[in-house]
Amino acid sequence: MTISDLMFEQSDCGQDAAAYVLGALEDEEAATFRQHMATCALCREEVAVLQLTADALPAAVPQLAAPRQIKRRVMSAVREDAKSARRTARRRRLLAPSRPALAVGAAVAAAAVAVGGFELASGGRAGSRLIQASVTAPSASAVLRLSDGHGELVLRRMPAPSSGRIYEVWLKRAGRQPSPTNTLFSVTSRGSAAVDVPGNLKGVAEILVTPEPLGGSLVPTHSPVIVAQLAST
Amino acid sequence: MLQPTTATAGPPISSTAEDTELSPSDASLVERVRAGDADAFATLYDRYARRAYTVALSVCQDDGRAQEAVQDAFLSLWRSSATYQPERGSLAAWLLTGVRHRAIDLMRRNAKHVAHRADEGQLDRVAGPDDLAARTIRREGEARLRASLRSLPAAQQEVIELAFYAELSHREIAAQLGLPSGTVKGRMRLGLGRLRNALGAHAGAVP
Repeated sequence: MTISDLMFEQSDCGQDAAAYVLGALEDEEAATFRQHMATCALCREEVAVLQLTADALPAAVPQLAAPRQIKRRVMSAVREDAKSARRTARRRRLLAPSRPALAVGAAVAAAAVAVGGFELASGGRAGSRLIQASVTAPSASAVLRLSDGHGELVLRRMPAPSSGRIYEVWLKRAGRQPSPTNTLFSVTSRGSAAVDVPGNLKGVAEILVTPEPLGGSLVPTHSPVIVAQLAST
Repeated sequence: MLQPTTATAGPPISSTAEDTELSPSDASLVERVRAGDADAFATLYDRYARRAYTVALSVCQDDGRAQEAVQDAFLSLWRSSATYQPERGSLAAWLLTGVRHRAIDLMRRNAKHVAHRADEGQLDRVAGPDDLAARTIRREGEARLRASLRSLPAAQQEVIELAFYAELSHREIAAQLGLPSGTVKGRMRLGLGRLRNALGAHAGAVP
C-alpha cells in the first residue's frame, strides 16, 4: 500500500474531497473546502490523488451536444399532443354537459397527464367516478375507478417493475407524506393490472404508485410512476 | 489552489440556456408545461438536453439507445409533469435521474444485442500507421476506463455518473435518491478510490 493509499484510507477529514473533484459541491461549499485545503495537507493530497481519476472520466463518455434529431422528434410529438389537446377541448365544449366522456383517446390522455389527473366520467352506480391518472411510461395508461369511497386502479401497457422491484400503492393526504399500503403488485406480460386500492379514500388527495424493493417500503424510495389526483371524497 | 477541471473531447458544445436572472426558472417553466405550453417545454429541453445526452451515453455507450433514453425522458416530462414534485428535489435531478433509469432499462432489455459506440466506425480512413496505433492505444484506455466504471458497485457508479456526467450536486442527488448527503459523498469517495486503484493497475491506462 502506498503512502497515498494509507492517507486515503485513514483520512477522516471529511467526505468532501471526492465530491469536490467531481464538481458536486455547491458553490459555497466548494469555496469553504478550498479554504480548508489551504491548511490541511491530507485533503490537498487526497484531492491531488482523486483529481487524476476524475480528469480521466471525460474519456469514458464523449462530451457532445445532444444530436439535433432528438429535439426534432421530441418537439414533433409535443406539438402534435398540444394540437390534439386543443382539438379535444373544442370537441368537449360542444358536448352536452351531462354526457359522460368514456372513450379515452391519446389526445385526452395527453391533456389529462398534462394537468395530472382528469375526471373522465361519473354516473352509473351512485357515487361512481373514473379518473385518468398521470403515468411516466409513455405508452401506458392508468384509470382509477372510484365507488362508494373505494378505488380500483386499472393499468394498461404498463412496463413491469425492474428486477428486484415491485409496485407499491401509496395514499397521500394534503400536507402529509405518502402513507404506505400493503398493496404490492406487478403487471401481466401485456402490462395489464387491476389493483384494489385499500381502505376508505375519504380525505385522500392523491393515489401514488412507486417501484420499491421486494416486500415494499415504509417510505417511498423512488419518485411516483403513477399519480391519480382526486378531490377529497 | 486545486480546482476541479473537466476536460472535453469532440466538437465544441454550444452553451445551454442556464438559469440566469433573465431566463425563467425551472419552476415557472414546469407550471407552463403543465398548462400545455410547448415553447416552455422547448426552453427546458434546451436547458438540459446536453447533460441528459451525456448521462445517457455514460450508461448506454451507444448513440441510438442514448437518444431513445433522452427522448423518452423528455416526453415523460411533457406528458407526466405532474409526477414531478418540487418539494422532493430539483427538476434537473428528477429529469436526469429519469434519463439514467431509462438508459439502464434499455440496456437491460437489449442485453443480448450489445451495440458498438457510434464513433467506433468513424476512423479517418487515410490515417497513417502511427496515427492508427496512437488511436488504438487511446481507445483501449477508454475501454478500460469504461470497464472500470461498470465494475463499480451500482450505488457508487450511480452517484459518480449523476455527479460528473449529469452535473448534479451531492444535495440534488441525495434529495432525488432519498439518501443523506453524507451517504452520497461517501459513495463518491469510495467509488473514485476504487476507480483510481483499477486504473492505477495499468500503467498509462488513463487516455
